[in-house]
Amino acid sequence: MSSASTRSAYTSFSPGRIWTMATHTVTQLIRMRILVFMGIISMVIVIAAFAFPAVSPEQQLKLLKDWTFGALQVFFVIIAIAATGLLIPRDLEDRTLYTTLSKPVPRYEYLIGKLLGVMLLLGSGLLLMDLVFSLMLYVKQSLIISSQIAALEKEQAATPENIAFIKDLNSRFGLTYSLHGAVWAIFLKASVVAAVSLLISCFASSTLFTILVGIAFVIAGQGQALLREWFLDKMSGFWQKFLSGAIAVFCPDLTLFDIAEPAIRGEIIPLGVLTEVTGIALLYIVGYTSVAYLFFVEKEL
Amino acid sequence: MDAPSPSASPTPAVTVENLTKVFKSGFTKKPLLAVKQLSFEVKAGEVYGLIGPNGCGKSTTMKVMLGLLKATQGRATIFGRDSEEVASRQDVGFLPENPYFYKHLSGRETLNFYGRLCGLRGAELKDRTEAMLELTGLTHAAERRVGGYSKGMLQRVGLGQALIHEPRLLILDEPTAGVDPVGSRRIRDLILELKQRGITIVVTSHLLEQMQEVCDRVGIMSNGRMVSEGKLEELISVENQTELILQDAPPELLAKIRALVQEAGGKSQVVSEGKPRTTLEKLFLQSTTQTGDGE
Repeated sequence: MSSASTRSAYTSFSPGRIWTMATHTVTQLIRMRILVFMGIISMVIVIAAFAFPAVSPEQQLKLLKDWTFGALQVFFVIIAIAATGLLIPRDLEDRTLYTTLSKPVPRYEYLIGKLLGVMLLLGSGLLLMDLVFSLMLYVKQSLIISSQIAALEKEQAATPENIAFIKDLNSRFGLTYSLHGAVWAIFLKASVVAAVSLLISCFASSTLFTILVGIAFVIAGQGQALLREWFLDKMSGFWQKFLSGAIAVFCPDLTLFDIAEPAIRGEIIPLGVLTEVTGIALLYIVGYTSVAYLFFVEKEL
Repeated sequence: MDAPSPSASPTPAVTVENLTKVFKSGFTKKPLLAVKQLSFEVKAGEVYGLIGPNGCGKSTTMKVMLGLLKATQGRATIFGRDSEEVASRQDVGFLPENPYFYKHLSGRETLNFYGRLCGLRGAELKDRTEAMLELTGLTHAAERRVGGYSKGMLQRVGLGQALIHEPRLLILDEPTAGVDPVGSRRIRDLILELKQRGITIVVTSHLLEQMQEVCDRVGIMSNGRMVSEGKLEELISVENQTELILQDAPPELLAKIRALVQEAGGKSQVVSEGKPRTTLEKLFLQSTTQTGDGE
């Protein structure tokens, strides 16, 4: 046989192998028709854009944003749980894990590759949805401005001040950078959920178990802040802090990523807030993936 | 490439030293002892057959050799490296029993994927993928999804992925299980060809006749232990008997031979006499023209 001249020598950490696992995961999920979900979200956005012609212009824009962000939150969290939950248990059930791990692939690279693949899919899907949403919002906003200017002209009140006021008002309720920031926060939330699902799938025996426990974590994560307030409020400083921290480590506080509401209201999301939630998400992702590795490295195949 | 002699390389391809594997099950169940104090060595360049009944610990031993399972006691090495080191798998190609691959990938994509995991890139990856498709006779089905492949084709794509990175050691777990005699013969021929190229092969199979055709040495396992091991010729030859096969021998000649044996006296005697039979496999292969390529 010929000598392997261009072959990269084995290294204990290879971005190339991780990228191979990640791109393969994307292909796997796309061919599992996960894009149907994104088609449904696009439909929701289009319907929301034209379904409420009777309400006030500001309400129309707000409803479009409400519907879109609601759909993005729900669908992308579901995609994160289902996609991640399908990967490792299915590889185990189908025994494809044997052939993959019998190659020179460390188990941490396999895990990172799988998670990165899910995150790539979530990221590119959200980017696509953001583009569709931005386009629809811009079209809707432009249509509303045009119709309001036409109404002013009809009433012979189309003064530069009135036109500027209408443009300013609609721009505030229309497309803003903060909305893209809110989409980024959804990506972070879905990525944290994916990391939790990855951890669960490392000790779960089936896809169904992973998905059900993943959903339970999301529900707990959404209600965590409320529960902490309810149960820990009466405790003293140290114990309150300790238990609060322990709960937050065990189950991610997903409400931290719910920053869409102010953006929908037309408020600006400061860059500092986005940086902070990005940092928190990274901590959760790295933490959960590290614990997932500790389970996975001991797994008997 | 000339086949190096099995003893040419000082480092054994595989060593298994006092391997014990216990599976811990649920709280109420007793631990399962799958392999107990197993030791053997495979020299570089030889074909080693690991045989035994179902559940005797063959697959468990192979999984320890591949780092898929951790030994409870003892160890396994691959070309001197501990099998728990990921780097040891650079030199190993593995074909699992009943191989399953990602159904959403085509045959070519499957080979590409595993080639990439082994560090192949660019023109080399493309060349190796095409070479493996050709070697396994899957060029015509390269664009078809693996989910639609027959059992024999899956086995062949499995061999392709195992060989994609030109490993020095090939581990085959029941490579002919469920494959028709034509496909089975093709795999046997491939093993012999790879042996000629100097690749070390560890193989398990229930088809003992085939093992006999390809193996230099065999180890027989039972209840997790090695019960017999050695060179195949030494293990299967009946030392106190001699086989003589004659062609177109007239009855008179046979009568003379029988008389000679009687005259010789002592313990010498004709144990059996008759026409040698072909095997059902050979008859099948002679009678069948279908190659299995059109699956």
